[in-house]
Amino acid sequence: MQTINPDSQRPTLRVENLTHRVSLETDTLTILKGVSLEINRGESVAIVGRSGSGKTTLLGLLAGLDTPTEGTVELDGSVISGLSEDERARLRAHRVGFVFQSFQLLPALTALENVMLPLELASMDAPEMRARELLERVGLGERLAHTPRQLSGGEQQRVAIARAFASNPAILFADEPTGNLDNRTGQDISDLLMALNQEQGTTLVMVTHDEQLAARCARQFHIEAGELTEPVTRRELTD
Amino acid sequence: MTAAKKLMSVRRDWRERDVRVVLAALIIAVATVATIALFASQLQRTLVSSASSFLAADRQLEAEDGRPVPEPWIAEAVKRGLETGRMVEFSTMVLGNDAFQLVSVKAVSNEYPLRGELEIQGDSEGSREQIKHGPARGEIWINPRLLKLLKIGLGDTLEVGNRNLTVSGLLLREPDGGFSLAALAPRVMMHADDVASTGVVQEGSRVEYVYLFAGKEAALDDYYKWLQPQLGPSQEWKGVRDGETLSRSLDRSESFLLLGGSLAVLLAAVAVAVASRQYALSQRDTVALLKTLGLGSAGIGQLYLKRLALWGVTGMVGGFVVALPLFWLLTLLLGEALGRPVAFQLDSSALTPALLTAVVSLFAFAYPPIRRLKNVPAMRVLRSQPGETGREAWPDMLIALVAVFGLIWLYAGELSLVVSLLGGLALLLALLAFLGWILVAMLRKVRGGGHAWRLALVGLYRHRRASLSQIAVFAMTLMLATTLILVRTSLLDDWQAQLPDDAPNHFLINIAPDAVDDVAGFWKERGQPLDQLYPMVRGRLTELNGQPVKEVVSKDQRVGALNRELNLTWMDSLPADNAIVDGRWFEAGQKDGVSVEAELAGKLGLALGDKLTFTIGSDKVTEAVTSIRTVQWDSMKPNFYMAFPPAGGLTDMPATWITSFYLPRDRKNALNEFSRRFPTVSVLEIDNIIERIQEIVRQVTQAIEAILVLILAAALVVMAAVVSATLQDRQREGALLRTLGGRQSLLVRSTVLEFALLGGFAGVLGVAAAEVAVWALQFRMFEGAFSWHWQVVLPIPVISALILALFGRWQLSPVLSVSPMLLLRRLE
Repeated sequence: MQTINPDSQRPTLRVENLTHRVSLETDTLTILKGVSLEINRGESVAIVGRSGSGKTTLLGLLAGLDTPTEGTVELDGSVISGLSEDERARLRAHRVGFVFQSFQLLPALTALENVMLPLELASMDAPEMRARELLERVGLGERLAHTPRQLSGGEQQRVAIARAFASNPAILFADEPTGNLDNRTGQDISDLLMALNQEQGTTLVMVTHDEQLAARCARQFHIEAGELTEPVTRRELTD
Repeated sequence: MTAAKKLMSVRRDWRERDVRVVLAALIIAVATVATIALFASQLQRTLVSSASSFLAADRQLEAEDGRPVPEPWIAEAVKRGLETGRMVEFSTMVLGNDAFQLVSVKAVSNEYPLRGELEIQGDSEGSREQIKHGPARGEIWINPRLLKLLKIGLGDTLEVGNRNLTVSGLLLREPDGGFSLAALAPRVMMHADDVASTGVVQEGSRVEYVYLFAGKEAALDDYYKWLQPQLGPSQEWKGVRDGETLSRSLDRSESFLLLGGSLAVLLAAVAVAVASRQYALSQRDTVALLKTLGLGSAGIGQLYLKRLALWGVTGMVGGFVVALPLFWLLTLLLGEALGRPVAFQLDSSALTPALLTAVVSLFAFAYPPIRRLKNVPAMRVLRSQPGETGREAWPDMLIALVAVFGLIWLYAGELSLVVSLLGGLALLLALLAFLGWILVAMLRKVRGGGHAWRLALVGLYRHRRASLSQIAVFAMTLMLATTLILVRTSLLDDWQAQLPDDAPNHFLINIAPDAVDDVAGFWKERGQPLDQLYPMVRGRLTELNGQPVKEVVSKDQRVGALNRELNLTWMDSLPADNAIVDGRWFEAGQKDGVSVEAELAGKLGLALGDKLTFTIGSDKVTEAVTSIRTVQWDSMKPNFYMAFPPAGGLTDMPATWITSFYLPRDRKNALNEFSRRFPTVSVLEIDNIIERIQEIVRQVTQAIEAILVLILAAALVVMAAVVSATLQDRQREGALLRTLGGRQSLLVRSTVLEFALLGGFAGVLGVAAAEVAVWALQFRMFEGAFSWHWQVVLPIPVISALILALFGRWQLSPVLSVSPMLLLRRLE
């Protein structure tokens, strides 16, 4: 059972009437239709839905990786849908962490360097020390000098998790973090993700179609054909 | 090292295949351009100085009228900072050991030679010395043949007119031992200040005064501008560029080196463009991730700009590291060929084009695709985005085109050449792509064959866009390389044909009509038959259609041929290396008419039927032009501006006969016997000149071959760049095929076949295009005739197919040696 932090009542992420359309050669495709939601500080939220339902697009818009056709996204007090790309990048550097399905580690860098990279980009102090601490925390203290190719899938995702938490983000976005892993490893990774999230007090927004993983989050948003159905809390689920 | 720095490090970059290709292309480009530029400037200096030494100066002023030129002319030259010297040339009888001999005297001032060196033998031991001065006063140096003719030795006395001179050396080679037909008999060299005391040169003697000038080109040109209006008809200004054979060799080698430079630039540019586009594509995921992690587009731009700058520095340094020893080697070889050390002189201005090439290649070819990286959407980390449609690349191509244009213009220096080269290439590329498309489409219809064959055909067809661009680029590369090989071959053949090993190296002049048969018999007996003998009558062209020629022809058009006596001849058949361009050659029995050399006819504006009047002694001969013909001036055979028919206008004129023949060095002693039997016949030895020209030609050839190797290396890099563009796809397909149970041998055979087909197609198209290009170039630059080169051309498609097949096999190795699963994961 998750204890709710009093601060959590203030939304970290507020989305209003988010609509996203893409132009095709002959047609315009509406991927998201009038999505509105609020996610509070320290909360863990899963966005679930079938393939092609629009959940990845929503994640991208929430994280400021893309801009919506209509509507606003307010992240940590800033309306990111109104920021320039560079301003959004700056915001991401300091406030946002990511975990991806395909790990997205830079193959040329070692595990340690991959974790150091966001710290250096955000000009933080003592990046190496912080990176070592985190890698040790995820159980890879012995594999600092290994490159991604020398690591298994599960190990790569641990490095990615360490990287995601490196810059003390206010909010962490995870896209199918266990999607490329076997059940057992996936279980370990989701344990680690949840544990770190709790330790660091980070807001977690996760896209997944793994219902077990989704069930570990405080709330779930179901998305279907670009529209959000009512959020469900874990309490409601358990009840 | 921090992670961000490591991301930018060249050492890490080096692990990326595309970066290796870009760097290799840059290094080759810089090395090629630097070597060509350095060597061309070195060659220019060496050849000009070596050609200058044929004049013993940069310029000569010849006065054939037996009078020295006015003193103020020389004073003016000195005032303008030129070095000057003087020579007096005349023929006289000398007395040595009670025997007389006609000799050709060259009396030289202290300054002689201003350029080049003399070779003498100062003692009986036979050691040769190279020196830069003539004999001292009171001394004389003689041609070794005189030792036997006069039975004298070193240290003996030779009487020249009223003066006794001591024989202090044997004259083996004089730098200006050129082959002016006025040179007579064995040469002796004495000091100019001794001439007066001999009493030989009197008012009206047949004497030639020659003045030597050396200095900066601009000063020489200015001086000539000042001098030109004052020159009389018998005074002639001569420069290095007038020395036809050598200057043509020089021009051709320059043209060739420049052409090579342009091709190297083009090839390198193509390699850089292809590889950096490929590199940019491979960097999209990294850029998306860096953006996601918070790096702004300015930061991304900076990151890659820094990287580009590092590549540039690496390319330049690497290029020079390759170029310098190469240039040093070429300089060493040049010195060896010329028989004297050539200073290893780095002309810093020659390095500018190399640096410029590196900078332009990077910023016009590598930068545009890399610059667009900052537009990669961050969203790419979540979902692969559509790739480039190719529309974005249009402005890049425009930039690249302008850059290539500028660079080649810089090299070739001739706008029309650049326009025709690039226009031709653009047309060619389109044509090649079209033909390639037809070939590929036709292949689809091919039935039968095993699995591997079908798989190869399917592969070619499925990647047809890539296949077409590969075929077009390979074909273009092969075309450029083949063109170069062909032009080189035909250039060298041309040179060799001009100066074959048995090119005539001796002239016999002044043969009296009644001695013609005896002279021919003498050499026939000794197994050295003479080339054709021609009669020679000295005369001046004085009137054109009844008007004095100097009035009709404006001063600008004036040609050397008008300023001196011409050697006129008559002949019944056209020499084999002459060709009629207008009119008809004399018919048997024809008695009237004259045939004029084409270039002179052009300069004088002559047409068939124009009446030319020649003054020969006190007689005048007038004939109408009946034909215009080209002459091979550098054939080392007697050549004539004007030819009359036998029994034509020249009959009854006092004629002597002239011929040329080849005499091997080891049989030169026969000349002594000849001179004794025919004392009035002058022997002109030009074997030294021919040997030097041949050496220079060989040297230039070596340089061209070295550069050709560099250009071929550039061509290989282009191939690597283009193949690597589809490498990942091919590896992924290979891995899939293996996963699905395809046998290794099937995969190997189909890949090898596919690449061999690509190489074969490109080879056929490339050599066909090269033949056309060579035809155009020969027509345009080298003024040569066109011939097919099947023997060179035929193996090229086969070699190209083989090389690509091997390349394909090599690229496939990772697919074969690694488990398909690992490979697929790695390629994800």
